[in-house]
Amino acid sequence: MRIVIAEDSGVIRAALADLLTDRGHEVAAAVADGDALRAAVARHQPDVTVVDVRLPPTFTDEGIRAAVELRRKHPGLGVLVFSQYIETRYATELLGDTPRTGAAGVGYLLKDRVGDVDEFTDALTRVAAGGTALDPEVVTQLLDRRSGGLTELTAREREVLALMAEGRSNSAIAELLVVTERSVEKHVGNIFNKLDLPPSHDDNRRVLAVLRYLEPDRADGNTSGPGAGRRSP
Amino acid sequence: MNSRARLLTGPLTRRGRAASRYALLGLPLTLAGFVFTVVSLSVGVYASLSLVGLPLLAASTPLVRRLGTVHRNRASRLLAARLPGPPPPFRPEPGLVGWTKSALKDAVGWRARAYLVLKLPVSAAGFLAAASYWVIGPYYLTYPLWWGVFHDFTYQPRPGASPVPVLASPVPFSNLQILSWPATLPIVAAGMAVMLAAPWWLRMANAMDVSLISALLSETPAERVRELERSRASAVEDSAARLRSIERDLHDGTQARLVAVTMRLGMAKDKLRGRGTSGGEPAIDRAFELVDIAQITVHEAMEELRGLVRGIHPPALDAGLDVALTTLAAHSAVPVELVIDLPRRASPAVEAIAYFCAAELLANVAKHSKARRAVMEMVHVPGLLRIQITDDGVGGARFETNGGLSGLRDRIGAVDGTLDVNSPRGGPTVVTVELPTEA
Repeated sequence: MRIVIAEDSGVIRAALADLLTDRGHEVAAAVADGDALRAAVARHQPDVTVVDVRLPPTFTDEGIRAAVELRRKHPGLGVLVFSQYIETRYATELLGDTPRTGAAGVGYLLKDRVGDVDEFTDALTRVAAGGTALDPEVVTQLLDRRSGGLTELTAREREVLALMAEGRSNSAIAELLVVTERSVEKHVGNIFNKLDLPPSHDDNRRVLAVLRYLEPDRADGNTSGPGAGRRSP
Repeated sequence: MNSRARLLTGPLTRRGRAASRYALLGLPLTLAGFVFTVVSLSVGVYASLSLVGLPLLAASTPLVRRLGTVHRNRASRLLAARLPGPPPPFRPEPGLVGWTKSALKDAVGWRARAYLVLKLPVSAAGFLAAASYWVIGPYYLTYPLWWGVFHDFTYQPRPGASPVPVLASPVPFSNLQILSWPATLPIVAAGMAVMLAAPWWLRMANAMDVSLISALLSETPAERVRELERSRASAVEDSAARLRSIERDLHDGTQARLVAVTMRLGMAKDKLRGRGTSGGEPAIDRAFELVDIAQITVHEAMEELRGLVRGIHPPALDAGLDVALTTLAAHSAVPVELVIDLPRRASPAVEAIAYFCAAELLANVAKHSKARRAVMEMVHVPGLLRIQITDDGVGGARFETNGGLSGLRDRIGAVDGTLDVNSPRGGPTVVTVELPTEA
């Protein structure tokens, strides 16, 4: 995989580049701000970029904005955004941005997650291949907020819901929970029924569906599938 | 000695001599101030028709303020007067028009003008009293001698004119002529009366002056409240800024390093498991390398944290200000000689402020002054902690609008302290900080 890194902290940039190179990937460029990122992506045409949320000059959300822009300009480019704090607002902004392509090729991870090299590279590969990777911590927070509406689900169904929201495929969920893929499919079906969500075989669309359901600031509490009008975060 | 005798000899004491000096030297100063105020007022008002007058009047405001300060300092020094606090400094609005408006509206300036005008009669009275005691009184008391020696002396102003007697009259330019020796005796009596009355007059005049200063050259309660509000706001702002800076340092420094460490260790685990290498063999050497890098990064993080903690609260401060200052001086780029007299400890807040002041001032010396050596004195007397840093550098330190010294002065002002800078170009520089403490 060809990768471009955007991270303003020198130590993290170096460690990240080493980590990816060690795993056999090509780090085409490692830059420190949004403009350099845009230039590097245009020049090297990578498969995926790893972008910090906080970049110069204001160190607020340049990373998110650059990610959104890059996804629009380079369809097919995977963008993995990582951050030192959870901001569920950013997650929904990132994912809800392209209703047509859904959550394809986007990820939002905590920097801590990078310590587990396997999980990190797995997430990166998923994103590069057009899938989704949402940090479990983000999902937990979203689930906690909606715990009222999820009482109908069994404990197992809640686990499956969480993993679905992270962007995992059925087979990955089956592997993680040590059950058959058939059981996972059944659970997914039950979840979609109980939450009154339209069924979807597209992993990305269903992430969006689940997230839309879990989003705390819904206008009137009705379910809505992907393709519904965007709400402001 | 009974009280009347003490009154008589009052002006002979050190205090009394200072009071006399105040009254005598005060008159020329007062005259200058009076003339300046009246002239600038008249010109300003008269010329205000042509739009030139008002700016001229506005321009006189800083000067009348300065004159007011001079009078205040003289009174406080020579009369040992206990005055209420000084008036707030001039804070003009930005821009030329804003400055002019602020200068014309400045209440402190107008009160200063009132003082400079009203002081004239008071100062004249004081001058007369002091002059009476030191010159006129003694002269009258010894008048018989003078008369005896000089009453025959005449001098001719022009050839051919009639000769004019010298010193025939105790009151110059008057028609009072003493024609015989016994007639000098009433003058001696007058001299005694003058000597008795003068000290009383002097004291009255100076007391009047002090009342005027308290009323017109000091801060009003409303002004004090406004100043306190200002310094509170800036203290709050300051502490918020410090917290933000600590957050930034922690995020960009320590947190980032820890993330890097966890990545390296994750990679090392990989290598030990043989992941990512051809053949699946554990790559021990590479694992070792990675753990080594991780350790170095942890050391860097600890070093950064140490620096951060020192900036928040240096551990040495718990042991006492003298210990903390010794460490501070040892770390200074410029050699610092310490003169410390701290017989008692102040409150932790005051000690912390004193420490950070000293730290910032020493940093200034190292950064800007090009000094070869510095002396730091810290003395704690009941109610006051004074820090004085002298360096032999290039001088020229000034309060700039958003500069370090102004910020320091504001922070010190928040605890009712003062910061004074004496830094002529070419040096040497003396910076004095005074912090009030609980006795």
